[in-house]
Amino acid sequence: MTGYLVRRLPSALIVLWLASVLIFLLIRAIPGDAAAVLAGADAPPEAVAAIRAELGLDRPVGSQYLHWVGGLLSGDLGRSFLIGGDIAGLVADGLANTATLTLAALLLAALTALVLGPVWAATRNPWVDRLLTGFHTASVALPTFVTGVVLILVFGVFFRLLPTGGVPPAGLLDRVDITAQYLVLPAVCLALPVAGVLTGFLAETLRGELRQDYVTTVRAAGVRDREVVVRHALRGALPVAVTALGLQTGALLGGAVLVESIFSWPGLGMLVEQGITRRDYPVVQALLMLSVTVFVLVQLLTDVAHAALDPRVRLGGRR
Amino acid sequence: MSALTRGRGLVGLVLVGVVAVAGLVGPLLVSWDPYQQIPDANLLGPSAAHPLGTDDLNRDVLSRLLSGIRVDLLISLTAVPVGALIGCAIGALATFSSALDVAVQRFFDVLLAFPQLILAVGLAAVIGPGTTSVMIVITVVEIPVFGRLLRSAVLRVREAQFVTAAEVIGGGRTHVLRTHVLPNSLEPLVVQLALSMSVAVFIEGAMSVLGIGVSPPDPSLGAVLTTSLRYLDLNPLFALGPLAVTAVLVLGFQLVAQAANAARG
Repeated sequence: MTGYLVRRLPSALIVLWLASVLIFLLIRAIPGDAAAVLAGADAPPEAVAAIRAELGLDRPVGSQYLHWVGGLLSGDLGRSFLIGGDIAGLVADGLANTATLTLAALLLAALTALVLGPVWAATRNPWVDRLLTGFHTASVALPTFVTGVVLILVFGVFFRLLPTGGVPPAGLLDRVDITAQYLVLPAVCLALPVAGVLTGFLAETLRGELRQDYVTTVRAAGVRDREVVVRHALRGALPVAVTALGLQTGALLGGAVLVESIFSWPGLGMLVEQGITRRDYPVVQALLMLSVTVFVLVQLLTDVAHAALDPRVRLGGRR
Repeated sequence: MSALTRGRGLVGLVLVGVVAVAGLVGPLLVSWDPYQQIPDANLLGPSAAHPLGTDDLNRDVLSRLLSGIRVDLLISLTAVPVGALIGCAIGALATFSSALDVAVQRFFDVLLAFPQLILAVGLAAVIGPGTTSVMIVITVVEIPVFGRLLRSAVLRVREAQFVTAAEVIGGGRTHVLRTHVLPNSLEPLVVQLALSMSVAVFIEGAMSVLGIGVSPPDPSLGAVLTTSLRYLDLNPLFALGPLAVTAVLVLGFQLVAQAANAARG
């Protein structure tokens, strides 16, 4: 286990390091002088110079990079140009909302796949198969902004059943039932594409497992269909599904930006949106790095989980 | 290619075709200009003159929607092939030497370490909003996707016996790569092209929703949808046009990709 983690860690760290260089250079490549823009059109040169010194823009690029990365490693994400304040503080404000939304969506997607995947793989009913094929195609293809707007129209405009924007006024932790009402539409919207991909993936892997010799043996021994799928084939298919789940975090992180915007969910996605539209580059830079870090770490963790579930992967290097 | 003349492949082609024809011919049939601001026609509901109503700036929604299809098709049909070509070129380059391969793989690793939409947002932050930005973003997002795909296909085909045979009878490295390996490595790209077209429509719409898309007052599927979002309570039907067209288009591309994938076996 630890051995596998140690083998995989260096490449993850290299990717993170290269990503940090790329993000830093990208933001530096923006045309125009950030300090001059911030100071305003007719600011005296001294004011511009003061701002430049405050932002550290007068130092060599290499030293700026080291300063930024050093800050990141010690939890200092820098200061916002325009929104104001410490970026770490801004991130802390939005983090709980985004984490709640993303985890709810992840849970929903995983549960959907765990139920629908085995049903789809094992069904002999052509109508169930058609229904699930339709669900899979639609959920994978339809963009979150399309399903999101349809959800708002159906549940918020035509039938006024659920709140379509924002978070509970009294906070997420005040009353669970009210929070659930606010959470359900954005979470379903964010979960749908991930649920579709995972369901399709799990069903396909399960179909492969069901063709294996060991399944024939188990069946020949008289084990019932349901038990064959749930107890035996699912165990073989799960490690691969876990890896697929890791890759889907990317869709969740990107989707969260959109879903938060559509449902006015005040999280990190809205902070990103503000950062871009107001050209607050330190904020964009910090959040890009944050999302890459989360994405790479989750993939690393799911790889490790894959190895823990499947000894062939764990021992692969020693064959 | 027979997979595209029956079953879900055919359905997909028809869906994409209907939207494409609507975008190409439609603007000629509508009497309103997509930029024209019509006096006394603010946020009207559907009527005979304006089947989908008018928007907040008194413009005919149907005409903007049909012209928006053109913009989306133009963006996808430019950005996706360019991204695919650059990606394939880099991917093919990687198969020349192992040192190059390591460098290229790392480059793709880094690009793929960004969730697609996050990469789009980051790039747009640097190059600013606008139609060109949308194209550049889609191109960059597609580069590692196609690069990876072509690289692994080339590596797989290179092990095939007919390639060894071509090498044995004295074919040079570039010759074998060009006449034997590359043509046989292109198959998986067809599936990816269809998928990438739907990703392009998605990214265009997403960037519009986030306020960094096609530059106003130009119409696009995403731009029309984004405007309609502000008036869902006032005129819920406003949103239905862009929603339906976007859904039909991406579903069509998805079905074509599925059919092409199934045909590969």
